[in-house]
Amino acid sequence: MNRDEVLKALSKPSPYGPDVDLSRFDIGSSTPESVDERSVERITDRLGISGQVFRRVDYLQVNESVVAKAMSEKLVKHGAVVLPTREALRKLNWVSAYSWKLIEPTIDKYTAASYLYGRESGFFIYVPPGIKIMEPIYTCLFITKKNYAQLLHNIVVVDEGAELNLVTGCGVPDQPTKSLHVGVSEFYVGRGGKLTYTMIHAWAPEMVVRPRTAVEVLGGGEYVSYYVIYSPVESLQTYPRVYLRDRAKATLNSVVVGTGNSIYDVGSSVILKGGESSGEILSRNLSKGSSVIYARSRIEGAIGPSRGHIECLGLIDGPSAVIESLPEISSSTPEAVLTHEAAIGKISEEQLSYLMSKGFTEEEARAAIIKGFLSIEEPRLPHQVMEIVKRTIEYIASRATG
Amino acid sequence: MALGDRTIVSNINIGVDSRELHVLIGPNGSGKTSLLNAIMGIKPYEVVSGQVLFMDSDVTREPPYLKAKRGIAIAHQLPPVLKGIVAGKFADELVRRYGVMRIYVDTLLETLEVRYLLDRYLFDKMSGGERKRLEMFLTLLVRPKVALLDEPDSGVDIDSMEKMSRAIHVALNSGTSVVLVTHSLHMIKLLRDYIKLVHVLYGGTLILSGLYDEVVPLIEKHGFSGALSRLAGGPH
Repeated sequence: MNRDEVLKALSKPSPYGPDVDLSRFDIGSSTPESVDERSVERITDRLGISGQVFRRVDYLQVNESVVAKAMSEKLVKHGAVVLPTREALRKLNWVSAYSWKLIEPTIDKYTAASYLYGRESGFFIYVPPGIKIMEPIYTCLFITKKNYAQLLHNIVVVDEGAELNLVTGCGVPDQPTKSLHVGVSEFYVGRGGKLTYTMIHAWAPEMVVRPRTAVEVLGGGEYVSYYVIYSPVESLQTYPRVYLRDRAKATLNSVVVGTGNSIYDVGSSVILKGGESSGEILSRNLSKGSSVIYARSRIEGAIGPSRGHIECLGLIDGPSAVIESLPEISSSTPEAVLTHEAAIGKISEEQLSYLMSKGFTEEEARAAIIKGFLSIEEPRLPHQVMEIVKRTIEYIASRATG
Repeated sequence: MALGDRTIVSNINIGVDSRELHVLIGPNGSGKTSLLNAIMGIKPYEVVSGQVLFMDSDVTREPPYLKAKRGIAIAHQLPPVLKGIVAGKFADELVRRYGVMRIYVDTLLETLEVRYLLDRYLFDKMSGGERKRLEMFLTLLVRPKVALLDEPDSGVDIDSMEKMSRAIHVALNSGTSVVLVTHSLHMIKLLRDYIKLVHVLYGGTLILSGLYDEVVPLIEKHGFSGALSRLAGGPH
């Protein structure tokens, strides 16, 4: 990679989301720190994985420090390789073939900053062929410092016929930190392999969040993601891209609950590059307060036969709340069957009346409707992971009516 | 009873005792659904004069959820689709809230043949008959003191009508009083042996109340408007 080009990209805004001046953040410093366990506990509470944090979480990174690494033991016993990304790149020559390949450092200023100053902080996981690790692996990436830039680079390789179920919680304590989180994630799923990736975000006002994710799924492989964000932020922008080869499948679910004056620009895209591949994007967006949600989704049919479907639903619950739904389907072959549906509305009086006539107070009825609206059933996620998602949705619904 | 500035129904006086089945019939637009919604307190229907009395208490101004807690239940004519709310879980929540015995729940499930609908979202992707039977199940499930059933027979086949008639019988036997609104006579015939009184609503007014044999043959023979002209003297 030409370093000068990456340096130039430091001033390149993302085509989506508000532009942010990176000089606001302390980028590139590496001061030693002590981890405040109470702050960490507060974040895990907000992520629905409270209590026994160090026993439950397999990998915990606070700012730049890796605090818990049970993930290594759990995965290594299955024959998997787990290392900090920096160490993996140093020790294993072949890892460089997966590094900055799906995501170019020059895409925008956030990827450039991660490439130049992130020191390859983050985790690398390799699951060898045929190894199915059904037990979910919990990873947490927290920020407790103010004006800090957390720049991460995670690489996950699930080889042929292998399986991995990854859950990542990212957050800050429930107070403004004015920090930046950039998580660059490159995921590779081999032929017939399966990766599920659940990500729950609990940030705070004044946080700037720019995850960058790209996934490649080879023949007959499967990728399932479930993303939930329910906290206020200054702005959050992400647009994961999933490339599907022959017979590969992907389902991308997202639940975005906007509060305060936050701006959320959340997209998902699937590129059908192989015959008989199929992709589905499901999103639920609830905008409250004066929040603005841009719900983008795009499926490209590059080869047929292939199938793609987008379902993007929005619920506006506030006089100043805004949702802009932008579903796109694009095909360069007549054999790709692509469909989309999008709807935005408010909580229906008819539904409220119905539930109230069954004995629910108005507040209970609103919570039940919001919970139902936000619930996307995903049978391909492990049961324990779906329980965490459901608990989070219940927590959101109970707070949404307060 | 009014909807906005418009009076929809007036001069209604119906008393229902324990375990009684009353049937309210009338042509389309006669005010039957409006009347049930006003009794339940569902907006925008409003009782502007008179009272809704329930076990000697004036509940006219109470919101629907308080009436439901007292034991008044309504089966909606067109229950809304509630995506994301699983029918079985919703039923479990009602059972928990109202403390209903499991055997009663199972009896209703079997009578109405709705068990296979319990893993679906409420009223989502269901046929007319399925929606009506599920809504009747969710209404009778809580063993209300009085159940207001709004046209459970509209748009459903004879099999579903028979299942619902049996469920009404189960509810009556368990102590529920029932007010059944309909504009067809088929379901009334199925329930003939249990009916206390048949009331005829026409143009927002009660024009006739009587026993099955006094009212149904008259309506069958002359229709609603024909019956009205024969009655000339007002409600009987």
